Amino acid sequence: MKLNLTIISLVLVAAVSFGLYQLSYEVQGLEKNLKSLNQNISENKETIRILKAEWTYQNRPDVLQSLASKYLPLLLIAPYQVASVGEVPYPQIDPEQYTVPIPRHNPRRDYTPATPLPRGPVQLATFTHTGGVQ
Amino acid sequence: MALRLDGSAKETLERGRNRLVMAGVIFAFCFVVLAGRLVGLAISGIGDEDVMASEADSVPPVAISESKRAEIRDRNGVLLATTLTTASLFAEPKNVINPKELAAKLTTVLDDMSEAAILSKLASARNFVWLKRNLTPTQQYQVNALGIPGLHFREEEKRFYPMGALVSHAMGFTDVDNQGIAGVEKYFDAQLSGSKEKSAQDLTLSLDVRIQHALRDELSRHMSIFRAIGAAGMVMDVKTGEILGMVSLPDFDPNRPGDFSGDAKFNRISLGVYEMGSTFKTFTTAMALDMGAVELQGGYDATEPIRKAGFRIRDDHPKKRWLSVPEIYMYSSNIGAAKMADDVGPKNHKAFLAKLGLLDKPSLEIPEVGAPILPPRWNSLETMTISFGHGLSVSPLQLSTGIAAIVNGGNYINPTMIRRNEEKMTPVRQVISAKTSDVMRRLMRLVVEKGTGGKAAATGYLVGGKTGTAEKAVGGRYKRDALISSFVSAFPMNDPRYVVFAMLDEPKGNAQTHGFRSAGWTAAPIIGRLISRIGPILAIEPVEEESEAVQKAMFIPINSREKKLASF
Repeated sequence: MKLNLTIISLVLVAAVSFGLYQLSYEVQGLEKNLKSLNQNISENKETIRILKAEWTYQNRPDVLQSLASKYLPLLLIAPYQVASVGEVPYPQIDPEQYTVPIPRHNPRRDYTPATPLPRGPVQLATFTHTGGVQ
Repeated sequence: MALRLDGSAKETLERGRNRLVMAGVIFAFCFVVLAGRLVGLAISGIGDEDVMASEADSVPPVAISESKRAEIRDRNGVLLATTLTTASLFAEPKNVINPKELAAKLTTVLDDMSEAAILSKLASARNFVWLKRNLTPTQQYQVNALGIPGLHFREEEKRFYPMGALVSHAMGFTDVDNQGIAGVEKYFDAQLSGSKEKSAQDLTLSLDVRIQHALRDELSRHMSIFRAIGAAGMVMDVKTGEILGMVSLPDFDPNRPGDFSGDAKFNRISLGVYEMGSTFKTFTTAMALDMGAVELQGGYDATEPIRKAGFRIRDDHPKKRWLSVPEIYMYSSNIGAAKMADDVGPKNHKAFLAKLGLLDKPSLEIPEVGAPILPPRWNSLETMTISFGHGLSVSPLQLSTGIAAIVNGGNYINPTMIRRNEEKMTPVRQVISAKTSDVMRRLMRLVVEKGTGGKAAATGYLVGGKTGTAEKAVGGRYKRDALISSFVSAFPMNDPRYVVFAMLDEPKGNAQTHGFRSAGWTAAPIIGRLISRIGPILAIEPVEEESEAVQKAMFIPINSREKKLASF
């Protein structure tokens, strides 16, 4: 009887301590995970900051102006080119328009893109401390 | 078994056992406490996690990059200033194995550094030398890819202005420690850098980069056409006092302010004060009409120049006849304006200009704000000269704010660099009556339609304004060959929304202007071009200028006594 009690209590102690330490290690692992996630977030934030600055820099008005004057036939807007929505005439209703058959199913139903979309969540580019963009 | 002890021996043993039991109880208690704590720790941890977790949660999402200096944006959210973490390259000369090879390799990546410069840096006896501060991410990657031992990076924060010189004067700049030392960077330094109690807050300016760019583009073009030494311009909302564009040329790149001279950093709009010339006739006319010193139908004889206290006041465009008030304004007659101001009197004149904020330092959210230069005395003669803009130096900012008050219905509104809400606006004070303001709008329109400012016309936008040509005062004397030509305008004149100001410093005439360098030839074309550029951006609906409704709205009786049949 006395021996049984001792064995039971020993097994209990072993089981409880195993469970406890398991829990403890799990928590430690999660905390490590959280830390690395937080660092990842801050790195991504920094990358976003840099990319935003880069975007604004590439979109400076003088750059856009020189590009527009090079590639687009756009000049200053003359007053006669400005109109309100109310002045725009309604489009003529074309009777032919109603003879177009309605497709039986979504025309893009069987469409598959040439390059398959990546699986899983979208990964942001990451600016690493070792340099470069991953 | 049991020994029977008597007397002192038994007593001693009893005491010893009692002590042992006591000690045992104390130890047992301590061990129980320790065991309990051990179990507690194993289950719940050290007890700081809660604090750590709440700290991490309280600061918005992840509290990492918030220690940076905050961003500055324009009214549409375009980034004007941001703080980036950049890598700076340094070397430990002791750990460099082959300096020659290093220098050769490094110059292939950092093309703005010479081999000799790198070698001389590596030759120093210290064990830490900066090679290059603030590398771009690409450069950092390339340097890393070289794989040279003895080279290291340190992360630094750098203020970056993507727009470069476009918003230089309004923005200001920061020093190496990211402390604002000019412009809004200095004025809002505490808000941008934040403190322990308050986190850094982003700043939204009233500027619009599109308008800022159009303004800078037109000013710099005309500055080179007329070979001026400087130019300045601003666009201001007359209802809210927001400054949408503010340019002073020559300007500087806030990313590297050290490379520019003091002249480039001088803000001609807010810090520079000038005798503005005829643009002041707007204030004189508004004052005389508002105070009832003269009726709109009235006028003055401008046949002869005025001689007073050794001065001679004459006209630049002499008509040598009686001029009505609209004529005085549209032909920019100094004699007429002087007589008009004299009728009002120096005391009232001074009080009126003070109400328009022309005699005090204006309030604006940048430290570079200049105070006006008042004449030492203010008597009849000073009133006469100030009536056409000589003898009182004000900044273009003050002039534009005053004009905004004249055209917006008579309400003086403090100018601002920060985006404002129109609904929450409260005008500071009523300067002139709404009726006088309406007459002034028509008069300003008349100047562009028939008077000296014809070149400021922008078809469809009903521009109205006033030219101003003043000789520069240098060392107490007027320099005949150095002019400040300016034009202050507002549009559309039937319901003014924006005041546009342009100024050229020492323009020279050319063949196209027949050698003239007055404001009507040099500054007015800037306004015309600029308004047709920014009108669509500001969503101003163009009107048919020749239509009956517009003509009626802008009608003003001139009452000229000019003989219709000229005597030829």
